[in-house]
Amino acid sequence: MLPITRGIYNALSLIARSPQNRYALHTASALQCKAVAAEAEAETAAEDVEQDAAAEQKLDANDRTKVIPVETSMRYLKSAAYKQTYGDDFVWVQYRRNHKGMFAPRKTRKTCIRQGKISTGNPCPICRDEYLVLDHRNTDLIKQFISPQSGQVLSYSKTGLCQKSHFKLLVAVERARDYGLLTYDVPFREYDYSEYYGKTEETAPKKP
Amino acid sequence: MSFLRYLRKINTQLQLPTRLERQFSNAGTKSAILQYEKDPQPQFTDTETQRLLQSMTQMQLDKVFRKRTVPDNDNEIKFMTTEQLENEFVKMIEKAKHQLQMPPVVKVKQDTERIISKDPALKDFQNTKFVFTDITYGLRQSDRKVVVRDVDGTLSYAPLETQKRMNQLYFPLKGRTFHTPRMFSEQEYLQRCLDDHKYEFVLDRLTVQYEPYELDFHQISAQVFQHLNESKEFDQLRSTRHFGPMAFFYAWHHCIDDLLYDMIRRDYLQNAVELIALSYKLHNVPVEFRKTISELDALQPTPEKRALNQLLSSLKSKEEHEGIQQEIQTAIGKAESDFAADEISLKFIEAYIASEHALKKVQLELAVQTLKEINLEKLQLYHGLKKAHGMHAS
Repeated sequence: MLPITRGIYNALSLIARSPQNRYALHTASALQCKAVAAEAEAETAAEDVEQDAAAEQKLDANDRTKVIPVETSMRYLKSAAYKQTYGDDFVWVQYRRNHKGMFAPRKTRKTCIRQGKISTGNPCPICRDEYLVLDHRNTDLIKQFISPQSGQVLSYSKTGLCQKSHFKLLVAVERARDYGLLTYDVPFREYDYSEYYGKTEETAPKKP
Repeated sequence: MSFLRYLRKINTQLQLPTRLERQFSNAGTKSAILQYEKDPQPQFTDTETQRLLQSMTQMQLDKVFRKRTVPDNDNEIKFMTTEQLENEFVKMIEKAKHQLQMPPVVKVKQDTERIISKDPALKDFQNTKFVFTDITYGLRQSDRKVVVRDVDGTLSYAPLETQKRMNQLYFPLKGRTFHTPRMFSEQEYLQRCLDDHKYEFVLDRLTVQYEPYELDFHQISAQVFQHLNESKEFDQLRSTRHFGPMAFFYAWHHCIDDLLYDMIRRDYLQNAVELIALSYKLHNVPVEFRKTISELDALQPTPEKRALNQLLSSLKSKEEHEGIQQEIQTAIGKAESDFAADEISLKFIEAYIASEHALKKVQLELAVQTLKEINLEKLQLYHGLKKAHGMHAS
């Protein structure tokens, strides 16, 4: 007998816990409330929904488990939202590091994101905006981190990137150069003509 | 001579598939890509050809010495006397000439197997090949001896690819990588670079990555030039080291018309004449062009002289009379000798258009016509201004 009764109890509890049922209960209470004051209830319900969404968003703000595709990031960099956020500046220009005393530690922090969450109050310029994805295709973003004078990647002491982001940046730059997406000034190659024209030099007159 | 032994394991199993792959990819694109069917080197290194190419390249110092984004680009500021400055200008021109050194145009070098000795006694001594490289200091790349001891005991000279890699290993060339950049190895990325008009970048990188006698060098440069011929962005390469080989390529393959049109449109008539002369010369067309060229040379300075004059003109103290003449010339952009040179070159170009060698006759004729009208207007203005300033209309 015991197993059978237990089975029935389980089934009943499942039904009771199922969302449809809960919804039914919720609606029942709502109906009850409606009898008292229909308008007031509607307002509070709306507030409830808003509060829920806000709570979820608050959770999400530090969450970095969602992978943003590069294409989205590339579109973002051209969007009005980006323009509004950063204006004409590069993404790292407005960033300031927090540190004790007059001088910042020589190295930036190892990473801003631990266990899929932002673990710091002042995440680096790349980590703070989840739509900035470092990738070799995202040349608009990479170009902001390359010095217009020397053509080298800017140091993290200037840009404030965390070590992990900086490494990703170096990889992305190297890849972009390999793919030819990022142009740079190639070192000048000097040719020793005699190496190529060699023995025919005597027969054909050489360049003056 | 220190003949040092260095062991390099060559993973033949890894290399073979990549080589095959490349050969296949070449076969696929070969049909569209133009190639030099015989050795172009004697024609290219010919003194007259070189002079024509150098003149066509021009020397725009702003472009040659543009600010490069390289780690060591610092400026030095000095106080100098006028004499010192003039000497410095001459040095600058020399430096610019060096910067414009053209990459050699040579035929594709075929890889031949050259066996030194066969020693069956050494068979299966090791299950890898041994590569021996002579790393004596100061040898030229082509003189450096690289030999390979095969697994079956054969000692032979290394193939070109191994030789290049060994050279890069012991004497690295700045900017060259061991693996081929994906920009060159994968067609779609190269195509994207070309579609973005990054011609100079692609060609610069090509010169660094490849040797001029390699097949890939020929194919990629041909592809770039052909793409350039379609997009007509010739001005990007003007006054860079790649302009000469480009013009030579077009002249060799009978497709100078687009470049010619561009030159006429930009009022580089002397260059247009030189281009036509070059194509006549390469294909042994029985048209006398040397007289026209020498006439033009007498009238107009060489690119180096022109650049030097431009530099020196910033120093000159202007005299009253010359000052006005100079002013008129700069306002119009042409001097009397230029008008005379234009007349000669236009005659030559029109003769070319009328001949059977020109392919895009209508377009070229129109360009010439427009240029003539503009020139006439300028000439009238020139004479008018001269008269107004009370100078003799010579």
